[in-house]
Amino acid sequence: MKVLEAHHLQKTYRQGGKEVRAVVDVSLAIAAGEILAFLGPNGAGKTTTIKMIAGLIQPDAGSVRILGRDPHADPGALAQVGAVLEGNRNLYWRLTPLQNLEYFGVLRGLSPRTARQRGAELLETFGLGEKRDVAVQTLSRGMQQKVAIAVALLHQPALLLLDEPTLGLDVEAAQAVKSLIRQIAASGRAILLTTHQLDIAEALSDQVAVIERGIIIAQAPTQEMIRQFAGAAGSYRIELEQKLDPSRAERLAQQGVEILGSHQLRFSGSSETLYQVLEILKPLPLLRIKREEADLTHIFLKLLKRRREQG
Amino acid sequence: MRPLLYLFWAELKRAWIQYIRYPAEALGGILITTFFFYALFAGAQYVAGPASQFGQRLDAVVIGYVLWTLVIFVVNDIALNLQVEAQTGTLEQVLLSPFSAATLFLARACASLVLRFSTVVVILGIILLLTGSRLHFPPTLLLPLASVVLGAYGFSFLLGSAALIWKRIQQLLILSQFGLLFLLATPTEEWSGSLKWLGQMLPMTAGAGLLRDVMVREAGLDPLRLLMALASGVFYFALGLLAFRRAMQLAKQRGILGSQ
Repeated sequence: MKVLEAHHLQKTYRQGGKEVRAVVDVSLAIAAGEILAFLGPNGAGKTTTIKMIAGLIQPDAGSVRILGRDPHADPGALAQVGAVLEGNRNLYWRLTPLQNLEYFGVLRGLSPRTARQRGAELLETFGLGEKRDVAVQTLSRGMQQKVAIAVALLHQPALLLLDEPTLGLDVEAAQAVKSLIRQIAASGRAILLTTHQLDIAEALSDQVAVIERGIIIAQAPTQEMIRQFAGAAGSYRIELEQKLDPSRAERLAQQGVEILGSHQLRFSGSSETLYQVLEILKPLPLLRIKREEADLTHIFLKLLKRRREQG
Repeated sequence: MRPLLYLFWAELKRAWIQYIRYPAEALGGILITTFFFYALFAGAQYVAGPASQFGQRLDAVVIGYVLWTLVIFVVNDIALNLQVEAQTGTLEQVLLSPFSAATLFLARACASLVLRFSTVVVILGIILLLTGSRLHFPPTLLLPLASVVLGAYGFSFLLGSAALIWKRIQQLLILSQFGLLFLLATPTEEWSGSLKWLGQMLPMTAGAGLLRDVMVREAGLDPLRLLMALASGVFYFALGLLAFRRAMQLAKQRGILGSQ
């Protein structure tokens, strides 16, 4: 059974007499141990979707199931959800990390003792053992974010919702949160992750879903999506050990090769035609041939551009 | 039952830690309360304001003042904190719980009452020790007090519902303090004819009237009026909870739980 199954979610808000369609049609499914990166520009409907999954916003249509239970009809389903929501404090600033963990643990159905024990263990694991008894407001942003993730994990939920977990963090703190997310998924939890840092999404996710104006415009396993885009427009960078002569340069240009400099070329096309290019270059000594991978950033921008062109 | 006790304990602990986190702030509050009580004992009954209409005797003035401050604190703790927590974002995190929102906030209201009540009792105890004064509180006070507390909870949840939907309700809270003053201090039991019965149906008035009977008029408890006071307390409490539940549904439908 999938940990999360969301089918055809829809949400329209009324703002100042106008209707705003925040989510038009979103379906998502995540299995245990899987990370789904949910990507989209600002205002595309990511946070509304996450809050509908967490039972904080009632969808106009569609359904959410967490391990088969509907969080909107059965509050017990929320025992299987942990969330770190973007733009929220998520924590009581006057309380220490351990006090926050104990408090939220009880709210999620644990006994105070279990919450304290697990909380102390999590803080140790997250490298915050020394900070367990200082007020949260005195911690750095990165530490606060780690405590918020610890709170979301304390009751060992099957589903973790992370809305922009690395937003506003410095490079080091973002790396720490990134490795934490990887560990959490390895422990068998399903993770729904939204982020604007596409390198993080690419490094962490098993699946990608791209949302634009409330509609999912692409959804596939991350590596498959990257391969698909790389395959369609495979691109190779060729570096030569010696300078390219003018006659070869002319013949290469006829083959559509881009001359980047006296020692560098770029060729876009299939791997079969690559050998025709290499034939022209023969017997010049080669320094390197590297296939330029499509990355998630390119794919994301391309998808949005295509979608906008379609109107 | 045990998870509910844990919940109450967690809320009490959270409220206590937040209360004492800034000692100067907590001490300031305690000093102000102590000053007012001391002034009451020193004979300056006017500091209790209209709550002193509970009677001229010191016991009556004290009970009137305690009731008034407790009700104000509980109403503010629920309604104002809902508004503040929606702004800071802890509200959504709190609501990610298998407990219903009404259960969570009822536990908060109880914790808030216990905390405020304990503070007031400790302060009162110290003043009694220092001044050598004695107060007489008959045990028959408890039932009318319970009816007033139930009404106050109902009132808090009604204002909490307003905070969920309209967000900024400071003005409404200030207005509500006048409303509370009217409900607690107006001797509606002395009104005549049908107005009297209408007065008894307002939140908290019937219980407050019975308190005046016991403390000021030194009369016994009228069983019929006590029953009415309790029924009114339960009615407003249920009304508050129902409104809160509905407001929570509405806020989730409009997607405004976490908005400012």
